[in-house]
Amino acid sequence: MTLIYRGIVLFVLALVIRCIFREKDFWKQATGALVVIPLILRVLMLK
Amino acid sequence: MNYQIKGSRVTACILLALSCLVCFVAAKSFTSMWVEERVYPVEEFQQKKLSDYFSGIKGTPADQPVFIQKGEEEGGTVLLLCGTHPNEPASNLTGVLFLENAKVERGRLIVIPTANIMGFSHNGPQEGHPQGYFIELADGSKRRFPYGNRLSNPIYQWPNPDIYIHPSSGQNLSGKEKSNLNRCYPGRPDGSITEKMAYAIVELIRKEKVDLAFDLHEASPEYPVVNAIVAHERSMELAAMVTMEIEAMGIPIRLEPSPKNLHGLSHREWGDFTDTMPILMETGNPSQGRLRGRTNEDLVVTGKDKCYSRAFDLGKLYIPYDGDQPLSLRVARHTNAVMLFMENLEFINEEKGLTVEGIPDFEEIVKKGVGHFLAASN
Amino acid sequence: MGHGWAVKIMEWFWPEGFYTIAMLATFAIGAFSFRLPIAIAMSIAAITGALLSGSGIPLRHLVEGAFGYLDTILIIATAMIFMKTVQKIGLLEAIAAWVIRKFRNVPLLLSLGIMVLIMIPGMITGSSTAAVLTTGALVAPVLIKLGVPAVKTAAVIAMGAIYGMIAPPINIPAMIIGGGIDMPYVGFGLPLLVCTVPLAIFSALLLVYPHFKSRGNDEKALEEELKRMETTRLSFRLFLPIFVLGILMTGERVFPEFWPSLGMPLDFLIASLCGLFSGSSWNPLNAATEAIDDALPVMGILMGVGMFIQVMTLIGVRGFVVVSALALPAWLLYVGIATSMPLFGAVSAFGSASVLGVPFLLALLGRNEIMVGSALSLIAGLGDLMPPTALAGIFAAQVVGEKNYFKVLKHCLIPGAVTALWGIAVILGANYIASMLPY
Repeated sequence: MTLIYRGIVLFVLALVIRCIFREKDFWKQATGALVVIPLILRVLMLK
Repeated sequence: MNYQIKGSRVTACILLALSCLVCFVAAKSFTSMWVEERVYPVEEFQQKKLSDYFSGIKGTPADQPVFIQKGEEEGGTVLLLCGTHPNEPASNLTGVLFLENAKVERGRLIVIPTANIMGFSHNGPQEGHPQGYFIELADGSKRRFPYGNRLSNPIYQWPNPDIYIHPSSGQNLSGKEKSNLNRCYPGRPDGSITEKMAYAIVELIRKEKVDLAFDLHEASPEYPVVNAIVAHERSMELAAMVTMEIEAMGIPIRLEPSPKNLHGLSHREWGDFTDTMPILMETGNPSQGRLRGRTNEDLVVTGKDKCYSRAFDLGKLYIPYDGDQPLSLRVARHTNAVMLFMENLEFINEEKGLTVEGIPDFEEIVKKGVGHFLAASN
Repeated sequence: MGHGWAVKIMEWFWPEGFYTIAMLATFAIGAFSFRLPIAIAMSIAAITGALLSGSGIPLRHLVEGAFGYLDTILIIATAMIFMKTVQKIGLLEAIAAWVIRKFRNVPLLLSLGIMVLIMIPGMITGSSTAAVLTTGALVAPVLIKLGVPAVKTAAVIAMGAIYGMIAPPINIPAMIIGGGIDMPYVGFGLPLLVCTVPLAIFSALLLVYPHFKSRGNDEKALEEELKRMETTRLSFRLFLPIFVLGILMTGERVFPEFWPSLGMPLDFLIASLCGLFSGSSWNPLNAATEAIDDALPVMGILMGVGMFIQVMTLIGVRGFVVVSALALPAWLLYVGIATSMPLFGAVSAFGSASVLGVPFLLALLGRNEIMVGSALSLIAGLGDLMPPTALAGIFAAQVVGEKNYFKVLKHCLIPGAVTALWGIAVILGANYIASMLPY
């Protein structure tokens, strides 16, 4: 189950990054960059 | 004012690089906690592993040291389980104090200092807790101790279900309790890693034929069960004797029976699933409470807090709070009570007595500070 | 005498009260003057608080605080993907059209039916934003077509979304409050219905029903709108995602012994996958990206709130706020609950539940804890109306194209006040109500 959930986190992470690249407003990109942080750390199981 | 800035692929790359940098710095801080606490037991202690009692946790993060000291004379066996909740530091510290001072003359003493070892390697989100704290030793130097979280680290157990159904009773608990060692007893050999660890501890109690088993805790000063002894039916007679002695010393304490319908807790399941006499004890810890003000190492060690002072004046606390609640006082409470329990054990069963020397008494710990009795770290 | 009193107040206030004001002010300036996204304004406010207290920029604490909502953002992200799926395959519109056709001539039932529609996504996901942005967005044009003024439409969507968030099965504030005193999230179903259903009926009758009754709306335009919505026919294949989601979620609750515990994120994703078999043509990757794009502001706000709460705890602001609230005299306690919890919702309803809900529940021990917890979660939910975050309100204004949220808020005042009063009434009568419920 942990692996499946890491997969889900990775999936959401990829979608968030896709959104950041498509976004035309800098501050909304920044919001995305904020969300990315815990997702990266959990995918790597560092926290 | 409008500070709209146009976003582009370049800004996206810059922001993501920044996120990665933040991740790197934060990860360095998080992983710095992934080290086992170092203790310096007196040489009479023999070191074993928890996996010696249940091989299912061998090589997993749940495995941890178990220290056993046997006295010259035959007697009873006592387990001192400390560090069930790593955000309750008086528990772990009492265990360390026994490890580094105890001379067992009669019977056997088993000490587990970091019971939920998987909770010592992280802090709880939104708690603002320090990662560790320093205690001043007799020679004036400082020794560091870890401050962790009540639950097992999610890097070892994640995700938890929405609702945790306690396996042996069917009781429903909030899902995160599946990572709480003191909700998982009697544990399962094929359950989650925390349940396996609970199972290993229960196996230890069975295989070592433990007569009296302590689970040391701390609680928020605003929580009704604090400065308290919680006893299973089997331990009630002994607990009543000890409670009277503690009160005679002028130390306020409550004695509570273990609720029969509250499952997963040590004071219930150790009693129901093994032959031991379980005792759970709580002291008042401002650094884990919800009313606490500024949260830092100082609060952990001194318990000084203006918010708790105010709350005490408002009559919201269940401990006498005179501006502070030092860690040394809390360790002294635990140590004193444990010693009284061991001294009284032979009045319950003559053959099962236990004599431990070398442990400072209540006044000494409060006066000199617990650090005075701990080994220097090298 | 008077002097000593002032000194005491100052001693209590300094420095935590100052930090509180500084953090809130930084947030307000960031969000209003600089028009920064709420998530960013919140993080800057958190950093400001840390700097003022002499803690530097505690990256470890900021990131750790955000982790408090990791599981929640996974639920929101996957729930949004699910809602986008049922929207893209045409299911939402088809159901809405069916409801309007069926009940157009029974305005009372229609008012209530629309209320239920607004609430459903909130009930399933536990997020008021999800409700506003999905069925809320869907019924908005219908309500306006049926003659309800835009600002009132936004108000009813916001209120419905909040009731949906509080109504069972999923109520995150109640889970947060219960978790604080070791109370499992079990047996909340009926108490939460007691908290929400009367209010939902009241709001629907107050805001929508009078306009339906006084017909005179544009029948032709409505008919056209309905025709457009009905392009997808209702069929079993179309219902598959909702059907599967229903089975996955109820299964886990009803047969916990042998049903695998998949968790909500996985439930939502599996149900979304079933949308691929609906027969409609749609692009799943784009739909998912669109979903995340819609959910991103909310996910970001939760990250910001996490950081904010962690810093509040770290520098003592949390204790200051909580003990100040507990210091209210008994008769004022209820006033305190009814005002401080929605006001704190300016940070977030979840934050309010965590920071104030738990101590209030402790202060109210002795009354039926599930009833009190449910009522507190209801009052905390009102926080989603409170600017600047106003997760329910601001999105609802957006949905009807109203730029000035305060015009919407004006129409939320009466239902909001009634909600707070009802919450207090439930707390006062907690034991009585609990004894009346069949268990």
